[in-house]
Amino acid sequence: MAQTRPTQRRRFLGLGRSREEVMQRREKREKPEQPCIYFPQAPQPGEWRRSVGLVFTATPPEITEEVRVSVPAIDLNLQRGLTKNLYVVGRLQTQFIQNSLNLGLRYAMPLSEKWFVSAGYDINGWMGVLKIRDVFDAQAYGVSNYPNVSVGYRLTRTLQLMARTEAIFDFYYHSQVGSLSVDYHRPQLSGVAFAFALEQPFYKKQHVTLGIRAAYSRFNWQFWSLYETFDRPLFYPQLFFGFIL
Amino acid sequence: MKLYPIWLISLAWLLVVGCRQIYEAPVPYTGPDIPGAGKFTTSIRQSMEGVYSVTDGSDRFGDQMVVKWTYLREGNDTTYYLSMFAGTDATYFSLAGQPQVDSLALAGYWRKLSNTETGLAEFAVQMKHNGQLQNYAGRLATGDTLVISGLYNDDKAKPTRRLTLTYNRPLNPEPFAILAHRSGGRTSDLLPSSENSVEIIKLASRLGATGIEIDVRYTKDGVPILYHDNNLNLRLIQKNGLNGPIEDYTYKQLTNLVRLINGEKIPTLEEALEAVVVNTPLSFVWLDTKYIGPMAPIQAIQRKYRERAAQLGRNVQIVIGIPSTEALASYEALADKTNTPILSELDTAITRTTLNSPIWAPRWTLGPQIDEVRAMQKEGRTVFVWTLDEPQFIREFINESRFDGILSNYSTLVAYHHYTKQ
Repeated sequence: MAQTRPTQRRRFLGLGRSREEVMQRREKREKPEQPCIYFPQAPQPGEWRRSVGLVFTATPPEITEEVRVSVPAIDLNLQRGLTKNLYVVGRLQTQFIQNSLNLGLRYAMPLSEKWFVSAGYDINGWMGVLKIRDVFDAQAYGVSNYPNVSVGYRLTRTLQLMARTEAIFDFYYHSQVGSLSVDYHRPQLSGVAFAFALEQPFYKKQHVTLGIRAAYSRFNWQFWSLYETFDRPLFYPQLFFGFIL
Repeated sequence: MKLYPIWLISLAWLLVVGCRQIYEAPVPYTGPDIPGAGKFTTSIRQSMEGVYSVTDGSDRFGDQMVVKWTYLREGNDTTYYLSMFAGTDATYFSLAGQPQVDSLALAGYWRKLSNTETGLAEFAVQMKHNGQLQNYAGRLATGDTLVISGLYNDDKAKPTRRLTLTYNRPLNPEPFAILAHRSGGRTSDLLPSSENSVEIIKLASRLGATGIEIDVRYTKDGVPILYHDNNLNLRLIQKNGLNGPIEDYTYKQLTNLVRLINGEKIPTLEEALEAVVVNTPLSFVWLDTKYIGPMAPIQAIQRKYRERAAQLGRNVQIVIGIPSTEALASYEALADKTNTPILSELDTAITRTTLNSPIWAPRWTLGPQIDEVRAMQKEGRTVFVWTLDEPQFIREFINESRFDGILSNYSTLVAYHHYTKQ
């Protein structure tokens, strides 16, 4: 016992390691051990990351009343490292007749070997077109912004967890039915969202993301055609799943 | 793949889904509303109706308001209510005269339908004569202006914030049907009464409505009742352990065991029409066909209450909605279609040729359809649009389209935009 104590103390303080060992540990901390999309760690400069999956959004009862459905959308993510800490993110969610595109920048940095953090700003544009005989002759588009902060925790070498908080700012909304159209230019804080995701190996070399997002907002682009008019945040729970390619 | 993270996510999902916030907007005003007009004689009431400019309080309620009287009859008593409609957040004021006060005094509450804001309000009616405010006694000389001045506050707080309205111009006199969806508004609009209840029918004209749409279904024993959804559910009724289709329950079971979300009984169609004809100034009822089955019992009730309205000297249109091909088949199966006004939600060809319906009601999401609307009106048909709640589109439809009326959950906003139209 008496012999091991000094060694443990030196290791704790980061002393007693060779330069190579220190460099290896730093590289390990900065370079992802496994592919990730949501985990707040920047790709290497010039490196691409991509994922494909589905996101399911449950309809709020205030809007769809007794009809409760979980609406699926195809979810594509694309990211590219710009510098050691800075990367650009893109996300396309599509239901073909309505689509949402996010473009943003993230700055990520490790706090320790296990803890990571990032801050980002995403700009979101969405649009939808509905032309159904005797029911709809409508289209709409809009712009929202999502400033966000994420915290990541690497639980094991293969399992990493992420928690994210987003503010949702609505900037612009345009809607048209037949020949009539309306515009809302007023920027407003529409709500907030909290997401929690895990990323881990799935099969052979495949990795997956599985997560939930709870948004409390005055508007949700997926439900533009229901013309919700409540000036109070409604709850939109989402479940997302993706394969990291 | 390790499975415990899946359990972690599932648990988090359950926690998240269980964290839905419940909104409420209880009316802070406890009345009582005393029957009778008090000092608000017919001529005073008529002179007060109009579009007013808002000076104090415009930051909260916009720069103009519509002021309009309505009434509620209960037996031999008539209570008069003053409604005020603002263009922001579908706001309405419901005020009643205060006969115990020795002036033209009003008290009541206000509510913003698009959110949960509400509060108490009290006003006095005065006139500005030679630049001086004086009590109004019912006579206005040239140059005199009516001023409704008072106080309001939030929730149950004593009114202390100023709200002043100055008469600007008369209401737009053009005929226009302001139709309240589900007899006043959805349960999710947090109105003081539940949708499709007798109580909200009695409130509808205070919300600006000139007519209502109600949802008709049959009980297991064939009694036509008002209920919107397919099933008994906690969106519409208080918790009682019952669920499933409403058609699985007898009228007696529903009466004894089920209460709507604000405590009311599920009304029969007859009780609803009795309230419209006897208690309210409403002049139009749209019976939305939510049932699958014979139309003859509904037709019999429709005829009975059209006759009852005529006996009371009231002009009340009661029409059966035809929203689907199933309802069309039920209508076509009627042995005798005379004296059975209908409203068609189907396309123009069916409306014209198959049904020859005097009323056509397309969805608002098809736009103003100006050519089709004009053509139908040229043939002597009335055209309504449903169910339009989006505030800016309500304004656009009233100003830019040619419909004869709008069905909305925000009849307050339709009233505001219609009566202020110049």
